[in-house]
Amino acid sequence: MKSLAASVDSLLPTLLSAFGPPGRESGVRDALRRALRGMGRVTEDATGNLHWRRPGKGPRLLLAAPMDAPGVIVTRVDGTGLARVAILGNRSPAELVGASLRFEDDARGLLGCDRPKGGKNGSELEADQLFLETGLGPKEANKRFRVGSVGAIEDRPIRLGDLWCAANLDNRAGCAAVVAALRAAHAPRYDLHVVFSAQSDLGARGAITGAFGVDPETAVVVDVAHLDAKETGGAAVGKGPCLGLKESGFLAHPAALALVKRAAAAARVKTQWLIRESEGSDARAVRAARTGVPTALIAIPARRSGGPVSFVHARDIAQTADLVARLLQMPPPNSKGGRR
Amino acid sequence: MSRDSAPAFEERFLEAFSNAVGVSGGEESVRTAVADAVKDHVDTLEVDAMGSLVARIAPSGRRRGPHVMLCAHMDEVGVMITGIESDGRLRFRKVGGIDSRILVGQVFRIGGNGLRGVAGTLPPHLIQRADRDKVAAIEDLYLDIGAASRAEAQERVAIGDYATFDTTYERWGDTRKGKAFDDRAGCAVLASLVRSRPPIPVTAVWSVQEEVGLRGAAGAARRVAPDLAIVLEGTASGEGPGLSPEESAPLMGAGPALTVQDRSLMADARLVDLIERTARRRKIPTQWKRPGIGGTDAGRIAISGAGVPAAVISVPCRYIHAPAAYLDIKDARRTVALVWHTLDSLTKEWP
Repeated sequence: MKSLAASVDSLLPTLLSAFGPPGRESGVRDALRRALRGMGRVTEDATGNLHWRRPGKGPRLLLAAPMDAPGVIVTRVDGTGLARVAILGNRSPAELVGASLRFEDDARGLLGCDRPKGGKNGSELEADQLFLETGLGPKEANKRFRVGSVGAIEDRPIRLGDLWCAANLDNRAGCAAVVAALRAAHAPRYDLHVVFSAQSDLGARGAITGAFGVDPETAVVVDVAHLDAKETGGAAVGKGPCLGLKESGFLAHPAALALVKRAAAAARVKTQWLIRESEGSDARAVRAARTGVPTALIAIPARRSGGPVSFVHARDIAQTADLVARLLQMPPPNSKGGRR
Repeated sequence: MSRDSAPAFEERFLEAFSNAVGVSGGEESVRTAVADAVKDHVDTLEVDAMGSLVARIAPSGRRRGPHVMLCAHMDEVGVMITGIESDGRLRFRKVGGIDSRILVGQVFRIGGNGLRGVAGTLPPHLIQRADRDKVAAIEDLYLDIGAASRAEAQERVAIGDYATFDTTYERWGDTRKGKAFDDRAGCAVLASLVRSRPPIPVTAVWSVQEEVGLRGAAGAARRVAPDLAIVLEGTASGEGPGLSPEESAPLMGAGPALTVQDRSLMADARLVDLIERTARRRKIPTQWKRPGIGGTDAGRIAISGAGVPAAVISVPCRYIHAPAAYLDIKDARRTVALVWHTLDSLTKEWP
């Protein structure tokens, strides 16, 4: 557990600051390739998913973790040196005000907003009220930014005690947990396929194609879940990994969930339940792949700040890594199918 | 056929396809027109279970280049008759996205027998003052075919019949006017290309039910299982009073529009780059479609199977999803040329 925590702590800052908006995940792919160096073959598919495989005798297990993080795409560069953007991913315009952005060619900018009109408050901002201050004059801005330029939030993670404060924790925290678990798990009892999925923030697109390609017998998705007091009941940051029972488009498969619960018991990791209506992780896409896949969801709890940054407890990430590492040693569920 | 000269855009197809009626789910007339245009030039031609028309071209000799799926959708937005009132008026609902503001007073072509009707609502002097500036809800609209009773209406129309705008194709200089240029423009571009037999394995799909959720292309892509896909569209240009050119882009007449991203798709960056380089080399002007809006069949094709690199090339059109769209014939010609030369580039530059 201690070594897993150290492993996560050393991986996470690099992963957080890696470039990887949906559909433009090159930076985070490179960071993951480096983190997995010497551990076997890594490939990339047409959607941009990164695949890592450790062949084994057991059933085919898919471990899936989204790797993209929200960003913006330039919709037009106006005559004044500012650019207008659309949001790539699940962020409201208000959450991005003040975010510092880095673009593919290392051009930089800062997101501001036109003050909402008609007595609206800031949470009702529309995406076209966001503007990108480029710091360049009209001429230079037109050269550096074009319609379709994609920018990522330039993340500068802060650690307050045991709390990580960063913009890209969803789901770089899950990626760090998975890599740490793979490093720790020596002889998995599965034919193990790991997919770091692309374009998850655009509707689990990478999970759709990645899970189709792998065709797993059992799957476990590792993601970050932002908790909402109204919806997610008693779950809280710092109280352990959440096991997903239900979310938009997903119900946990009993056999896959039982496997995760057995692993949690064996690792002595306390877990919480995640039950939510409004949001969905990659789990819904994996669960429905091909003819259906018994799937469980492990979600690292996170809290929103209302701005670009979220909060995640370091222990929750380390325990997720511990749980996943243990899961790879557990005897497989009996068969595909199960009760549901 | 020299690969260096792109085929011509065959305008007669645009005219025939635009005038044909094919609201989502009822694409028969368009499918017949497309099949007639291409049947003597393709190796196989079939209709799949959804209703999409699928044509294969296998160049003779050694296989060269990746297997490309080219796709254009046949369906158009319209309405469906959902009820017949006792006084002979027809109730209807939208099929696909139509702006409610443009419905009142429109003449519709109903069913397949040349029946016409007008979308009516309360006369102005009987509308409550407070409601005068409001757009009539579709529940308050009806189609009037001049029938005096339900029985009389039933002789000419049935529940489930489709109706579309009563618009005929016209030419004004380089401008063309017609209905359903989204996506009969793409259908005509694709027919023009296919008739010249591209020198690369191509499966051409004229898909159904795009306007109601990209349904036809999903099944077709699974069956075709291409190495990559290019979707051909008629997309909305953005000209309007008081807008700057940057705000309006893409503009009608300024060349094919390329997609980086829309609500359904992150276009494959390598493929878009190859298309852009091809356009530069061939001196074909292109422009960017505004990101963040719209969606096309490419979104479904891209997530089919284990993933398919996909891109979209569009003819910019004014007033799509409305009674009369405009396009510039030069853009249609340039789109044919750009796709043709892109296919040629793919034989050399795609791994």
